[in-house]
Amino acid sequence: MVQKLVIYPDDRMNCTSTDVRSFNQTLWDVIEDMRDTMQAHDFNAMAAMQIAYPYNIILIKEGENYHEYINPRIIKNEDLFDSEESSIHYPDVTVSIPRYGKIKLVYEDRNGQVHYEDIDDRELAATLQRKIDITFGGNILDKVNKNTREKILSALAGKGLMPQTDDVCPTFSKKDYFVSFTDKLLILMGLSLFTPLFKFSKETVENIYTFDKIAFPLIIALMISFFFYAQYEAKKYKQCSSCQIGNNIGVMVKRSVAALAFAIGAYFLVNPY
Amino acid sequence: MARLIVMGGGVSGHTAATFAKDWLGDEHEVVVVTPNSQWNWIPSNIWVGVGQMTKEEVVFSLAPVYEKAGIDYRQAKAVSIHPNGGENGDKEYITIEYTGQGKEGQTEELTYDYLINATGPKLNFGATPGLDEGHTVSVCTADHAVHANLELKKIFEKAKTEKQKILVGTGHGMCTCQGAAFEYIFNIEHEANKAGVRNNLEIKWISNESFLGDFGIGGLHMKRGGYAASSRLFAESLYSERGIPWIIGAHVSKVEAGKAHYELLDGTTGEEEFDFAMLIPPFAGVGLKAYDKDGSDITDTIFAPNGFMKVDAKYDAGAYENWKASDWPRTYQNPTYANMFACGIAFAPPHLISKPMTSPNGTPINPTPPRTGMPSGIIGKAVAHSVCDLIREGNNAHLHEASMAEMGAACVASAGKGLTDGTAAALTVYPVVPDFEKYPGLGRDLDYTFGEIGLAGHWIKHILHHMFLYKAKLKPGWTLIPE
Repeated sequence: MVQKLVIYPDDRMNCTSTDVRSFNQTLWDVIEDMRDTMQAHDFNAMAAMQIAYPYNIILIKEGENYHEYINPRIIKNEDLFDSEESSIHYPDVTVSIPRYGKIKLVYEDRNGQVHYEDIDDRELAATLQRKIDITFGGNILDKVNKNTREKILSALAGKGLMPQTDDVCPTFSKKDYFVSFTDKLLILMGLSLFTPLFKFSKETVENIYTFDKIAFPLIIALMISFFFYAQYEAKKYKQCSSCQIGNNIGVMVKRSVAALAFAIGAYFLVNPY
Repeated sequence: MARLIVMGGGVSGHTAATFAKDWLGDEHEVVVVTPNSQWNWIPSNIWVGVGQMTKEEVVFSLAPVYEKAGIDYRQAKAVSIHPNGGENGDKEYITIEYTGQGKEGQTEELTYDYLINATGPKLNFGATPGLDEGHTVSVCTADHAVHANLELKKIFEKAKTEKQKILVGTGHGMCTCQGAAFEYIFNIEHEANKAGVRNNLEIKWISNESFLGDFGIGGLHMKRGGYAASSRLFAESLYSERGIPWIIGAHVSKVEAGKAHYELLDGTTGEEEFDFAMLIPPFAGVGLKAYDKDGSDITDTIFAPNGFMKVDAKYDAGAYENWKASDWPRTYQNPTYANMFACGIAFAPPHLISKPMTSPNGTPINPTPPRTGMPSGIIGKAVAHSVCDLIREGNNAHLHEASMAEMGAACVASAGKGLTDGTAAALTVYPVVPDFEKYPGLGRDLDYTFGEIGLAGHWIKHILHHMFLYKAKLKPGWTLIPE
């Protein structure tokens, strides 16, 4: 049966396909659907994920036959070259990608028998690498630099093709309020260290030092709150590289260390007592 | 008073022994038998191996720590287990052979009420001909890492005037710990750049993985757009960006001076020349024997053929398509002897985690399951908890569970050591062993799966180094630090 293609902005293409473990009618049905869909669209290659089956299956059309690669792995490669490639997933997009012209494949057939194949045809080798990338959750835009990727995504957005906004990281999130307020406190704490350079009254110096004494624990509290709120947000938004724990810990530690340094500085430089 | 003997003082054994003593107090006795005089935070050996840390920064002496904790420390290796006693009675005991404390070579029998096997692995260099002949180095111990750094520095010196070849990876088709080799190769690359010799170095990766980024657990995943892309993508990007070619699906079959011979998954063979090679050896059980009361050998009853201890796993799961998360052990109790447990690398896994692969010549070429790091500590603590409950509540006490199929793990692979110029891949995976029934498809819960590459991850590596050494030294608040 001909199945619907997964076209951008449908982001199911980002899903890693699972290895086929059972070689039975379910697998053969998927292969049949892939073949029907390829014939309907006159495609010469397809990964199962392109019709939303998250299985590690690739079909390559060779003349009138369809070569089935189940659980393929590339175990050797050589002859790096730049391959001009387009993808069904991104309409009207062509990019240049470094691929290997010679590869060695290990894969299984529809009955689970293991096969090995040396491929030294650049076009076929590049096609298989592109399809294998899809089975691991990758696509052609993962293989280009960030600027090129952003230009292409902007162009697609100009055509009205962009991911659903409820599934991506917001450009501004509430956790940034914690960071923004903390940064302002840090700036003021930093400025307070210049107090000895000015002839302020004792009362003013005491007030500045009091500010430092309040700001330091406040920053620590803000950063702890930031961390837990950021973790909540990371769960709320599914796509968010800046929401990930490494970054959150980095933001928290960096500002806490700065606050500690300023507090120590204030103790020695501002402390009027 | 009951006596618990913990065989092994690595991450898992040390965790088990120290928690058990903390929970049991002075009412019961905890004995640690380990041939080592020092505890080693193994993940930081990578930094020792490139000269960014000294050995002293990654080890500490066990004796004062155990003395402070009230643990009876025997610097000795366990030789045999006698779970039904011996000539002198029915009381179960182990035999040990001292390696230190002024009693080197002396043997002794130690009776026990409960036994935890946390001996870790034997670094089985002998499995690959030539791997034990000094042609290559390893970073599996602090001393190995010190040696690796000395050899690496010679290569860096030579590379100032001539081309040098570096080969890093796994030294056998059945290795685990690809992550350590992965981290080491990028640290070498980082240090080579700093030393200004990168252009004269050909650095190559060789491993038994069927795809880059498998790491012995079928890959990690990085969440994007609500879905998870494979670690293969980021691994290939890292290798490509840094100009490191790779050979995968490879079983290193023989090592000679300056040359590694290998067999690929398709049965073909090849060889790779090197001036410096760090090849991780395969792991095996430490070779403990077990004897019945009459002296007959019952090693096969207690241990799997690979030398690891049998626990409550399903060892007859059969073919790959039949594997389930429930095959993995939950309590780590030996099925024959209820007062015997295993944790860390010492327990026998039911099967691989990665897809099993075999060459046409019948050579298995696939990563074996990692049981190191975070899971190792968690399992050690769970086992200690079970033993403590058994001691205090009797044989009907509920055993604590820590299945790797219900446990997450964090992996931080860092390149460089500087606080401003390092970079790291920080990934979490849940569960370690995919549960295809609970999480159809990848077998992993994407809500707890993420990855990040950057400086922040690198800092986490630093934090972990100091935090776990602090914890292992049993300094104030150590019990609050998670495994």
